[in-house]
Amino acid sequence: MRRSFTYLCAAILGIAIGGYSALAMSGLLPDDRRTGGSINLDRWYGDFTMGSEDASPYFRARIARHGLLALANSEAIYFTRAVDDAGEPFRENCKYQISGGPMPARWWSVTLYNSDNFLPSNTDAALSFDASRAEAQSTDGQWTAIISPVKPEGGTSWISSKAAGNFDLTFRLYVPAHGVLDRPEELINAPVIKRLDCEGGQT
Amino acid sequence: MKKWLGPLALCLVLGAITHLIVIYSAPPLIMDRAFTMLEKRGTPTHDFELAPRMTPETQSVVRPSPDLAYSICMFDLSQAPNGVQVTMAAYDGYSSLSFFDAQTNNFLTQRGDGEQHQVVLNADNAPSDKGVILIRRLAPSQAAYDTVVGVSSGDECRAL
Repeated sequence: MRRSFTYLCAAILGIAIGGYSALAMSGLLPDDRRTGGSINLDRWYGDFTMGSEDASPYFRARIARHGLLALANSEAIYFTRAVDDAGEPFRENCKYQISGGPMPARWWSVTLYNSDNFLPSNTDAALSFDASRAEAQSTDGQWTAIISPVKPEGGTSWISSKAAGNFDLTFRLYVPAHGVLDRPEELINAPVIKRLDCEGGQT
Repeated sequence: MKKWLGPLALCLVLGAITHLIVIYSAPPLIMDRAFTMLEKRGTPTHDFELAPRMTPETQSVVRPSPDLAYSICMFDLSQAPNGVQVTMAAYDGYSSLSFFDAQTNNFLTQRGDGEQHQVVLNADNAPSDKGVILIRRLAPSQAAYDTVVGVSSGDECRAL
Protein backbone atom coordinates (compact mmCIF):
# COMPACT_ATOMS: atom_id res chain seq x y z
CA MET A 1 0.00 0.00 0.00
CA ARG A 2 2.74 2.42 0.99
CA ARG A 3 4.76 1.47 -2.07
CA SER A 4 1.79 2.20 -4.34
CA PHE A 5 1.34 5.57 -2.69
CA THR A 6 5.00 6.40 -3.33
CA TYR A 7 4.62 5.55 -7.00
CA LEU A 8 1.43 7.59 -7.23
CA CYS A 9 3.16 10.63 -5.73
CA ALA A 10 6.11 10.19 -8.11
CA ALA A 11 3.75 10.03 -11.09
CA ILE A 12 1.87 13.17 -10.04
CA LEU A 13 5.13 15.01 -9.39
CA GLY A 14 6.54 14.00 -12.78
CA ILE A 15 3.43 15.12 -14.65
CA ALA A 16 3.37 18.41 -12.76
CA ILE A 17 7.05 19.16 -13.39
CA GLY A 18 6.84 18.11 -17.04
CA GLY A 19 3.73 20.17 -17.68
CA TYR A 20 4.93 23.27 -15.85
CA SER A 21 8.38 23.22 -17.46
CA ALA A 22 6.80 22.93 -20.93
CA LEU A 23 4.46 25.85 -20.27
CA ALA A 24 7.28 27.96 -18.85
CA MET A 25 9.78 27.20 -21.63
CA SER A 26 7.26 27.91 -24.40
CA GLY A 27 5.82 31.13 -22.97
CA LEU A 28 2.40 29.65 -22.25
CA LEU A 29 2.14 30.61 -18.58
CA PRO A 30 -0.60 33.22 -18.03
CA ASP A 31 1.76 36.06 -17.07
CA ASP A 32 4.40 35.34 -19.72
CA ARG A 33 4.24 37.87 -22.54
CA ARG A 34 7.60 37.50 -24.22
CA THR A 35 7.60 36.66 -27.87
CA GLY A 36 11.30 35.99 -27.36
CA GLY A 37 13.71 35.16 -30.11
CA SER A 38 17.37 34.51 -30.69
CA ILE A 39 18.12 37.85 -32.41
CA ASN A 40 18.65 40.88 -30.19
CA LEU A 41 18.76 44.32 -31.82
CA ASP A 42 19.23 46.70 -28.89
CA ARG A 43 16.52 44.89 -26.87
CA TRP A 44 14.25 44.29 -29.87
CA TYR A 45 13.94 40.49 -29.91
CA GLY A 46 13.08 38.45 -32.98
CA ASP A 47 13.47 35.02 -34.53
CA PHE A 48 13.54 34.48 -38.26
CA THR A 49 12.09 30.97 -38.00
CA MET A 50 8.74 32.52 -37.04
CA GLY A 51 5.92 31.03 -39.12
CA SER A 52 8.14 28.36 -40.68
CA GLU A 53 8.55 24.64 -40.23
CA ASP A 54 12.11 25.30 -39.02
CA ALA A 55 10.86 26.86 -35.79
CA SER A 56 11.71 24.89 -32.66
CA PRO A 57 8.68 23.36 -30.94
CA TYR A 58 9.17 25.79 -28.05
CA PHE A 59 9.24 28.87 -30.28
CA ARG A 60 6.34 27.52 -32.34
CA ALA A 61 4.21 27.18 -29.19
CA ARG A 62 5.25 30.66 -28.03
CA ILE A 63 4.30 32.25 -31.36
CA ALA A 64 1.02 30.33 -31.53
CA ARG A 65 0.03 32.20 -28.40
CA HIS A 66 1.72 35.58 -28.93
CA GLY A 67 1.81 35.98 -32.71
CA LEU A 68 -0.56 33.59 -34.47
CA LEU A 69 -0.63 33.85 -38.30
CA ALA A 70 2.78 35.52 -38.53
CA LEU A 71 4.38 35.42 -41.97
CA ALA A 72 7.53 33.50 -42.83
CA ASN A 73 10.75 35.52 -42.94
CA SER A 74 10.95 35.95 -46.72
CA GLU A 75 7.84 38.13 -46.48
CA ALA A 76 8.09 39.77 -43.06
CA ILE A 77 10.24 39.80 -39.95
CA TYR A 78 9.08 40.78 -36.49
CA PHE A 79 10.78 42.13 -33.39
CA THR A 80 9.24 42.85 -30.01
CA ARG A 81 10.51 45.11 -27.26
CA ALA A 82 9.15 45.56 -23.75
CA VAL A 83 11.71 47.93 -22.16
CA ASP A 84 13.05 51.43 -22.81
CA ASP A 85 16.69 52.27 -23.52
CA ALA A 86 17.41 52.23 -19.76
CA GLY A 87 16.04 48.70 -19.47
CA GLU A 88 12.88 49.73 -17.60
CA PRO A 89 9.55 48.08 -18.61
CA PHE A 90 7.22 50.26 -20.67
CA ARG A 91 4.45 51.74 -18.54
CA GLU A 92 1.27 53.49 -19.54
CA ASN A 93 1.89 56.41 -17.18
CA CYS A 94 5.24 57.30 -18.73
CA LYS A 95 6.07 59.32 -21.83
CA TYR A 96 8.64 58.04 -24.34
CA GLN A 97 10.29 59.30 -27.48
CA ILE A 98 10.82 56.72 -30.23
CA SER A 99 13.02 57.64 -33.17
CA GLY A 100 14.87 56.12 -36.06
CA GLY A 101 15.87 56.40 -39.67
CA PRO A 102 15.34 54.59 -42.95
CA MET A 103 14.68 50.85 -42.65
CA PRO A 104 15.87 48.11 -45.03
CA ALA A 105 12.41 46.95 -46.06
CA ARG A 106 9.62 47.85 -48.47
CA TRP A 107 7.41 48.88 -45.55
CA TRP A 108 7.76 48.90 -41.77
CA SER A 109 5.71 49.77 -38.70
CA VAL A 110 5.86 49.95 -34.91
CA THR A 111 2.65 48.95 -33.08
CA LEU A 112 1.75 49.05 -29.39
CA TYR A 113 0.10 46.06 -27.65
CA ASN A 114 -1.12 45.42 -24.12
CA SER A 115 -0.11 42.47 -21.94
CA ASP A 116 -2.81 40.30 -23.54
CA ASN A 117 -1.17 40.72 -26.98
CA PHE A 118 -4.03 42.91 -28.23
CA LEU A 119 -4.38 46.56 -29.18
CA PRO A 120 -5.20 48.44 -25.96
CA SER A 121 -8.79 49.45 -25.48
CA ASN A 122 -8.85 53.13 -26.39
CA THR A 123 -10.44 55.20 -29.16
CA ASP A 124 -7.40 57.35 -29.98
CA ALA A 125 -6.83 55.71 -33.40
CA ALA A 126 -3.10 56.16 -32.80
CA LEU A 127 -1.68 52.73 -32.04
CA SER A 128 1.10 52.58 -34.60
CA PHE A 129 3.68 54.54 -36.55
CA ASP A 130 4.70 53.36 -39.99
CA ALA A 131 6.87 54.11 -43.00
CA SER A 132 4.20 56.25 -44.68
CA ARG A 133 4.04 58.54 -41.64
CA ALA A 134 7.86 58.66 -41.48
CA GLU A 135 7.98 59.73 -45.14
CA ALA A 136 5.56 62.54 -44.34
CA GLN A 137 7.89 63.80 -41.59
CA SER A 138 11.14 64.29 -43.50
CA THR A 139 12.87 63.67 -46.76
CA ASP A 140 16.00 62.09 -45.29
CA GLY A 141 14.10 59.23 -43.62
CA GLN A 142 14.72 60.42 -40.04
CA TRP A 143 11.59 60.23 -37.89
CA THR A 144 10.40 60.58 -34.33
CA ALA A 145 7.16 59.98 -32.41
CA ILE A 146 5.90 60.28 -28.85
CA ILE A 147 4.43 57.34 -26.93
CA SER A 148 2.14 58.60 -24.19
CA PRO A 149 -1.42 58.20 -22.86
CA VAL A 150 -2.31 61.79 -23.84
CA LYS A 151 -1.88 63.34 -27.27
CA PRO A 152 1.19 65.62 -27.30
CA GLU A 153 0.80 69.25 -28.31
CA GLY A 154 2.11 70.71 -31.53
CA GLY A 155 1.07 68.01 -33.97
CA THR A 156 3.88 65.62 -33.02
CA SER A 157 3.43 62.07 -34.28
CA TRP A 158 1.86 60.00 -31.55
CA ILE A 159 1.42 56.40 -30.44
CA SER A 160 -1.22 56.24 -27.73
CA SER A 161 -0.52 54.13 -24.63
CA LYS A 162 -3.87 54.97 -23.04
CA ALA A 163 -5.34 51.92 -21.23
CA ALA A 164 -2.28 49.88 -22.25
CA GLY A 165 -0.90 49.10 -18.76
CA ASN A 166 2.51 47.50 -19.09
CA PHE A 167 2.78 47.40 -22.87
CA ASP A 168 5.21 46.28 -25.52
CA LEU A 169 5.97 47.24 -29.10
CA THR A 170 6.16 45.12 -32.23
CA PHE A 171 8.45 46.28 -35.03
CA ARG A 172 7.48 44.79 -38.41
CA LEU A 173 9.60 44.90 -41.55
CA TYR A 174 7.77 43.74 -44.67
CA VAL A 175 9.79 42.43 -47.62
CA PRO A 176 13.18 42.80 -45.93
CA ALA A 177 16.00 43.97 -48.18
CA HIS A 178 18.63 41.61 -49.54
CA GLY A 179 21.07 40.53 -46.82
CA VAL A 180 18.87 41.46 -43.84
CA LEU A 181 18.12 37.84 -42.96
CA ASP A 182 21.85 37.04 -42.89
CA ARG A 183 23.14 40.21 -41.21
CA PRO A 184 20.27 41.83 -39.28
CA GLU A 185 22.52 43.46 -36.66
CA GLU A 186 24.53 45.13 -39.41
CA LEU A 187 21.69 46.25 -41.68
CA ILE A 188 18.82 47.14 -39.33
CA ASN A 189 19.22 50.35 -37.38
CA ALA A 190 16.44 49.54 -34.91
CA PRO A 191 14.39 52.38 -33.38
CA VAL A 192 15.66 53.84 -30.09
CA ILE A 193 13.26 54.56 -27.24
CA LYS A 194 14.02 57.14 -24.60
CA ARG A 195 11.85 57.65 -21.54
CA LEU A 196 11.10 61.37 -21.12
CA ASP A 197 9.10 61.46 -17.89
CA CYS A 198 6.46 59.66 -15.86
CA GLU A 199 3.27 60.72 -14.13
CA GLY A 200 4.09 61.49 -10.50
CA GLY A 201 7.60 62.70 -11.31
CA GLN A 202 9.28 59.33 -11.79
CA THR A 203 11.83 59.25 -14.60
CA MET B 1 18.24 4.14 -1.74
CA LYS B 2 17.41 1.37 -4.15
CA LYS B 3 13.72 1.56 -3.30
CA TRP B 4 13.57 5.11 -4.68
CA LEU B 5 14.93 4.17 -8.09
CA GLY B 6 11.57 2.93 -9.37
CA PRO B 7 9.55 6.03 -8.31
CA LEU B 8 12.35 8.32 -9.53
CA ALA B 9 12.40 6.64 -12.95
CA LEU B 10 8.60 6.87 -13.18
CA CYS B 11 8.75 10.57 -12.26
CA LEU B 12 11.36 11.29 -14.93
CA VAL B 13 9.64 9.30 -17.67
CA LEU B 14 6.19 10.78 -17.01
CA GLY B 15 7.73 14.26 -16.72
CA ALA B 16 9.43 13.93 -20.10
CA ILE B 17 6.32 12.51 -21.77
CA THR B 18 4.09 15.24 -20.33
CA HIS B 19 6.60 17.91 -21.36
CA LEU B 20 6.63 16.72 -24.97
CA ILE B 21 2.85 16.29 -25.15
CA VAL B 22 2.30 19.87 -23.95
CA ILE B 23 4.93 21.35 -26.30
CA TYR B 24 3.77 19.56 -29.42
CA SER B 25 0.04 19.81 -28.79
CA ALA B 26 -0.04 23.52 -27.92
CA PRO B 27 0.15 24.99 -31.49
CA PRO B 28 -2.63 22.81 -33.00
CA LEU B 29 -4.78 23.37 -29.91
CA ILE B 30 -4.31 27.14 -30.13
CA MET B 31 -5.00 27.04 -33.88
CA ASP B 32 -8.11 24.94 -33.28
CA ARG B 33 -9.29 27.48 -30.73
CA ALA B 34 -8.69 30.21 -33.32
CA PHE B 35 -10.80 28.25 -35.87
CA THR B 36 -13.62 28.00 -33.35
CA MET B 37 -13.40 31.68 -32.49
CA LEU B 38 -13.37 32.71 -36.16
CA GLU B 39 -16.37 30.47 -36.88
CA LYS B 40 -18.24 32.05 -33.97
CA ARG B 41 -17.53 35.48 -35.45
CA GLY B 42 -19.05 34.33 -38.73
CA THR B 43 -15.83 33.92 -40.73
CA PRO B 44 -16.84 31.77 -43.71
CA THR B 45 -15.26 28.52 -44.91
CA HIS B 46 -14.31 28.68 -48.59
CA ASP B 47 -15.16 32.34 -48.95
CA PHE B 48 -13.15 35.48 -48.24
CA GLU B 49 -14.32 38.02 -45.71
CA LEU B 50 -12.70 41.44 -45.43
CA ALA B 51 -12.27 42.24 -41.76
CA PRO B 52 -13.21 45.75 -40.64
CA ARG B 53 -10.28 48.14 -40.04
CA MET B 54 -8.27 46.80 -37.14
CA THR B 55 -9.16 48.65 -33.95
CA PRO B 56 -9.38 47.58 -30.30
CA GLU B 57 -13.08 46.87 -30.90
CA THR B 58 -12.72 44.79 -34.07
CA GLN B 59 -9.56 42.73 -33.43
CA SER B 60 -10.02 38.96 -33.16
CA VAL B 61 -6.50 37.49 -33.48
CA VAL B 62 -3.49 38.45 -31.35
CA ARG B 63 -1.23 41.30 -32.49
CA PRO B 64 -3.12 42.57 -35.52
CA SER B 65 -1.61 45.50 -37.42
CA PRO B 66 -3.93 48.52 -37.61
CA ASP B 67 -2.09 49.51 -40.82
CA LEU B 68 -3.11 46.39 -42.73
CA ALA B 69 -6.46 45.28 -44.16
CA TYR B 70 -7.03 41.55 -43.64
CA SER B 71 -9.21 39.29 -45.75
CA ILE B 72 -9.60 35.81 -44.29
CA CYS B 73 -10.90 32.49 -45.58
CA MET B 74 -10.91 29.22 -43.67
CA PHE B 75 -10.36 26.07 -45.70
CA ASP B 76 -11.32 22.48 -45.01
CA LEU B 77 -10.18 20.04 -47.68
CA SER B 78 -12.30 17.27 -46.15
CA GLN B 79 -15.27 19.30 -47.44
CA ALA B 80 -13.55 20.17 -50.73
CA PRO B 81 -12.04 16.95 -52.10
CA ASN B 82 -11.25 18.57 -55.46
CA GLY B 83 -9.41 21.44 -53.84
CA VAL B 84 -9.99 25.12 -53.18
CA GLN B 85 -9.41 27.82 -55.77
CA VAL B 86 -7.97 30.99 -54.25
CA THR B 87 -7.65 34.32 -56.07
CA MET B 88 -6.10 37.50 -54.69
CA ALA B 89 -7.23 40.52 -56.73
CA ALA B 90 -4.58 43.01 -57.87
CA TYR B 91 -3.79 45.90 -55.49
CA ASP B 92 -1.43 48.80 -56.07
CA GLY B 93 0.04 48.84 -52.54
CA TYR B 94 1.76 46.01 -50.70
CA SER B 95 -0.30 42.81 -50.65
CA SER B 96 0.34 39.14 -49.89
CA LEU B 97 -1.60 35.90 -50.00
CA SER B 98 -0.54 33.52 -47.24
CA PHE B 99 -1.60 30.03 -46.23
CA PHE B 100 -1.41 28.58 -42.69
CA ASP B 101 -1.82 24.93 -41.74
CA ALA B 102 -3.27 23.42 -38.56
CA GLN B 103 0.22 23.49 -36.98
CA THR B 104 0.38 27.30 -37.46
CA ASN B 105 3.02 27.02 -40.24
CA ASN B 106 2.93 29.61 -43.01
CA PHE B 107 3.42 26.96 -45.70
CA LEU B 108 2.89 29.14 -48.78
CA THR B 109 3.00 32.87 -49.50
CA GLN B 110 2.63 34.85 -52.72
CA ARG B 111 3.37 38.56 -52.92
CA GLY B 112 0.94 40.70 -54.90
CA ASP B 113 3.28 43.19 -56.59
CA GLY B 114 0.29 44.86 -58.22
CA GLU B 115 -0.90 41.73 -59.97
CA GLN B 116 -3.66 39.17 -59.46
CA HIS B 117 -2.53 35.82 -58.06
CA GLN B 118 -4.30 32.48 -58.18
CA VAL B 119 -3.55 29.26 -56.29
CA VAL B 120 -5.36 25.92 -56.27
CA LEU B 121 -5.04 24.37 -52.84
CA ASN B 122 -5.38 20.60 -52.59
CA ALA B 123 -4.07 17.56 -50.72
CA ASP B 124 -0.79 17.76 -52.68
CA ASN B 125 0.25 21.21 -51.51
CA ALA B 126 -1.57 21.60 -48.18
CA PRO B 127 0.04 19.93 -45.13
CA SER B 128 -3.31 19.66 -43.31
CA ASP B 129 -7.00 19.44 -44.21
CA LYS B 130 -7.90 22.54 -42.22
CA GLY B 131 -6.22 25.91 -42.20
CA VAL B 132 -6.48 29.62 -42.78
CA ILE B 133 -5.84 31.77 -45.86
CA LEU B 134 -5.03 35.40 -45.24
CA ILE B 135 -4.68 38.35 -47.61
CA ARG B 136 -2.83 41.33 -46.17
CA ARG B 137 -3.04 44.69 -47.92
CA LEU B 138 -1.26 47.82 -46.75
CA ALA B 139 -3.95 50.32 -45.75
CA PRO B 140 -2.71 52.74 -43.07
CA SER B 141 -5.48 55.28 -43.72
CA GLN B 142 -9.27 55.19 -44.06
CA ALA B 143 -8.93 56.20 -47.72
CA ALA B 144 -6.61 53.27 -48.39
CA TYR B 145 -8.96 50.91 -46.56
CA ASP B 146 -11.87 52.19 -48.66
CA THR B 147 -9.84 51.31 -51.77
CA VAL B 148 -9.28 47.81 -50.38
CA VAL B 149 -13.04 47.42 -49.89
CA GLY B 150 -13.50 47.84 -53.64
CA VAL B 151 -10.50 45.70 -54.62
CA SER B 152 -11.37 42.83 -52.28
CA SER B 153 -14.62 42.13 -54.10
CA GLY B 154 -12.39 40.46 -56.70
CA ASP B 155 -10.91 38.02 -54.16
CA GLU B 156 -12.11 34.46 -54.42
CA CYS B 157 -11.91 31.39 -52.19
CA ARG B 158 -14.17 28.57 -53.34
CA ALA B 159 -14.38 24.80 -53.23
CA LEU B 160 -13.89 23.19 -56.65
